[in-house]
Amino acid sequence: MTRKVNILRAIRESERNGYWFILPYVIFFLLFVAYPLVFSFILIFHRWNIVTPMEWVGMKNFQRLASDPQFFRAMFNTFVFLLIHIPLQIAVALGFSLLLYSRGMFRGFFRAVYFLPVVVSGVVVTILWQNLYSFDSGVLNSLLSIVGIRKIPWLIDPGLAMPSIAIMATWKNVGIYIVLFLVGLQNIPKEIYESASLDGADKYSQFFKITLPMLNSTMVLIVALSTIGGFSLFIEPYVLTGGGPMQSTMSGMLYIYNQAFYFGHMGYAAALGFVFALVILAVVLLQRKVVEAEPS
Amino acid sequence: MITLFRKSTIGLLLLVCLSACSERRDSSAPHDAAAITLTYWPAPNPEEIQLADSIVKMWNRMHPLIQVRMQPIPVSQSTEEVLLAAIAGKTTPDVCSNINPVALREYTQAGGLVALDKFSDFDSIAAARIPKDLLPIFKNSNGHFYQMPWKTNPVMMFYNIGMLKAAGVENVPRTYSEYYAAAKKVTRDTDNDGQFDIWMGERDIRPIWWERLFDVYPFYIGATNGETLFKNDSVAFQNVDAEKVFGFFQHCYDKGYFPRTFFQGGDPFLLEKKATHFAGPWEIATLSKFAPNIHFDVAPLPVPDDHQGPVYTSGDYKNIAIFSTSEHPKEAWEFVKFLVTAEHDLLMLEITNQVPVRGDLLTNPLYARYFSKNPMMVKFAEQAVHTRGMDTVADLKEIFDAISQEYEICAVYGRKTPAEAVGDAARRCRAIMEWNQ
Amino acid sequence: MIKSSLRYFFLAAGAAVFAYPFLWMLAGSIKPELEISNLSLWSSQASLHSYQQVLTKIPIGRAFLNSVLVSLSTTASVVLFGSMVGYALARLRFFGSKTLYALILFTMMIPFQITLIPQYILMVKLGLTDTYASLIAPTMMSAFSIIVFRQFFMSLPQALIDAARIDGCSELRILFLLIWPLSRAVIVTVAILTFMASWNDVLWPLIVVRERTLMTMPQLVTIFVIGGEAESQLGMQLAAATLLALPVVIAYAFFQRYFIEGMAYTGIKG
Repeated sequence: MTRKVNILRAIRESERNGYWFILPYVIFFLLFVAYPLVFSFILIFHRWNIVTPMEWVGMKNFQRLASDPQFFRAMFNTFVFLLIHIPLQIAVALGFSLLLYSRGMFRGFFRAVYFLPVVVSGVVVTILWQNLYSFDSGVLNSLLSIVGIRKIPWLIDPGLAMPSIAIMATWKNVGIYIVLFLVGLQNIPKEIYESASLDGADKYSQFFKITLPMLNSTMVLIVALSTIGGFSLFIEPYVLTGGGPMQSTMSGMLYIYNQAFYFGHMGYAAALGFVFALVILAVVLLQRKVVEAEPS
Repeated sequence: MITLFRKSTIGLLLLVCLSACSERRDSSAPHDAAAITLTYWPAPNPEEIQLADSIVKMWNRMHPLIQVRMQPIPVSQSTEEVLLAAIAGKTTPDVCSNINPVALREYTQAGGLVALDKFSDFDSIAAARIPKDLLPIFKNSNGHFYQMPWKTNPVMMFYNIGMLKAAGVENVPRTYSEYYAAAKKVTRDTDNDGQFDIWMGERDIRPIWWERLFDVYPFYIGATNGETLFKNDSVAFQNVDAEKVFGFFQHCYDKGYFPRTFFQGGDPFLLEKKATHFAGPWEIATLSKFAPNIHFDVAPLPVPDDHQGPVYTSGDYKNIAIFSTSEHPKEAWEFVKFLVTAEHDLLMLEITNQVPVRGDLLTNPLYARYFSKNPMMVKFAEQAVHTRGMDTVADLKEIFDAISQEYEICAVYGRKTPAEAVGDAARRCRAIMEWNQ
Repeated sequence: MIKSSLRYFFLAAGAAVFAYPFLWMLAGSIKPELEISNLSLWSSQASLHSYQQVLTKIPIGRAFLNSVLVSLSTTASVVLFGSMVGYALARLRFFGSKTLYALILFTMMIPFQITLIPQYILMVKLGLTDTYASLIAPTMMSAFSIIVFRQFFMSLPQALIDAARIDGCSELRILFLLIWPLSRAVIVTVAILTFMASWNDVLWPLIVVRERTLMTMPQLVTIFVIGGEAESQLGMQLAAATLLALPVVIAYAFFQRYFIEGMAYTGIKG
């Protein structure tokens, strides 16, 4: 009898404790997740610059968005960035991880160096590359001049600016992906390679038929992480180019930031953020569908 | 158990609250209960802080019961952002002397400013100080004055005397054609790497909206003899003059007279890499500090070849305003009047090298000695009468951003003709104004 | 043999590509202005002049302290509350626990682009702009940390917890005295990831803080470089960037393993 009572009491106590444990988070959630979401649904139908009262405008923000060439350009730029950044990232990370994989000296040292740009602030990386990419006195162009190649207008040519930022972003983040690939490589059982060798498969077909497919899930992860990172692109164009040249580096986040905090169009910026979030969700869902459709 | 948990939650919340409260700014704390303390925000640059300091010290000596506390505007991205945030948060000072007339509409829409013409002596003070045809441009659309015009920085053309002479340019260029002719001689490749390294001029090629205030905008005012971009709240710049201005810059970039790059290591004017520079009188201090051995002079901006009459330019005014949160507007007005006395205008000239908005600068003997020692400032004082401000349309930043982008496409990259660019800029500005109706 | 040296050649070349820019930055911060564009990493006239200028122009020491305060508080809070909620979801039974878990998963899917502006407006309405609270509060708890902790706690043997309960331990004591010591690796991982993300975040501080004495270190350096204060002097910009990178690089040098493995852990679980 007492045992049952004890268990019941314990369960009820467990419930009470549970509520106390989660209470802070619930408060946090209401304040910083629920309220902002609800408020954003309201804000997107208003016009507001914070100092004057909010003004209902119905669908006007969305009408404007639909015919706003700058917003579409920002979306386009983001996709350009992703299309350059992601394959480059995968290729470079895969290459270095393969080099690092087999036993060798200084492995830890190399891994640490490759990972260094990851931990350092994006601001440092941006300041660095601003000077590396400088047209007349930058390090890259100096190196090119030594070899006799003409200086490249990295951040000045509208066709080169976004690729330059993509290269910089790859440089910064590839360390993470090298590590991820290393983990993926380590998870491939050695026996598979051994039996493949016994069957007469050479190094190349081993690579394409064993290694790559088994790294598939790692690559999927990398694509997902890079995509989400790419949509947040802000500090690089903000510091380096201000969105130019000719709007080629205006990212979604930068455009929203400008609209909200530079021009004071809170309602319109909220609408932009809303649509942008939908685009991101759509892309993520699409990627997931593609992954699920692939035969394992 | 619950008590421990509760204690920790409360503790954490307290910590958060404490840190929140401890950083709240208290903008006007009186030293002693009997005296009034006014807060005054000057612009955050060293010269104006020095000027403000001198004036405030004098005032405080003369007015023991009305003390002024000076605090430079917090350095952030722009004064306008800071002031708007202050208006929203009700943390505004009593007086601020870095009021950009452009932002005035936003400040007044938020109800942040006091109408100065409600003070009985405003009209007489204004009439005595300010040139007659300049005064109307400072009036708000509702007929009241919310700012006391204080100083102006007319944009003119600085030039390197030595560089022009060495290239065989006899006279300072006055028109576009003269400028092109001079540029052709000056721009050259000195180290034989196939690219120019000495240029006639240079502008930051990034489409930063306020850079247009030092090229397109003053040039347009010059070309139109004093017209600004908007009239009666609608676009007024879709005309031949705007096309000439865009065309001027396009020609300069096209021929290489301006480099298609932005410099990151050192000012090209100081390093004698470019011969002309469009700026206001603040440049004089920079020049004497960093390049004291180089000889510069100042001339009005170039104008289209068929131009007649005096050359107008943009004035980049900074004015004084009293905020509506002030608990002592009458005393604040007394301080404002103190700021604009003839003697303090002289101090402004001496300390900051900026031009007070004052009609009698070249006639009042008080200023004679200053101008004889600073001949470049004479040119600025003469130009000050022929200046125009900015239009008080809403969303001016967004409008200039659009103009900057069209300018970039047309002038810097040559992808559109001036007519197309001006047309597109006008279209975009109309759309902006319509959206924000 | 050739293959091996070829391999090392590429690895070394890669190391150069990743390391040289930092070395160049360090060198540039001590070279005189005109020599910075040189590719060499040394100068006969090396001096700390640029650093002196940076230290006098901007309150970078203060910004460092601000970053430390904000990041430490955020990390402590995330670990504390993350583990609490994670534990509650993993080991305490209460009505609504499944719903809450689903809600937390949902939170992770929300792109911050949509909540950024309303969160800013919330700060304005609460009058918390330009306060430490505004920098700490919105990131005080993290759905990610909750999920990580929950996952790990679920792998701990139930018997252990039951034994403690029978002994009469309160749930709080169980969490802090029993489970935390067992979760050291997870705690360190979450702590490092949170600290780094908090330290490097620039967008949010740029939005909520305008007062210079409250700015975080990366924020202050950003404004210094973009605004005209550096007077387009490259040396000063590089000195400021070096100062910004220094704390993280030092921490990285000591805790490198945790950084790298923490990131890998995210990847595996993600």
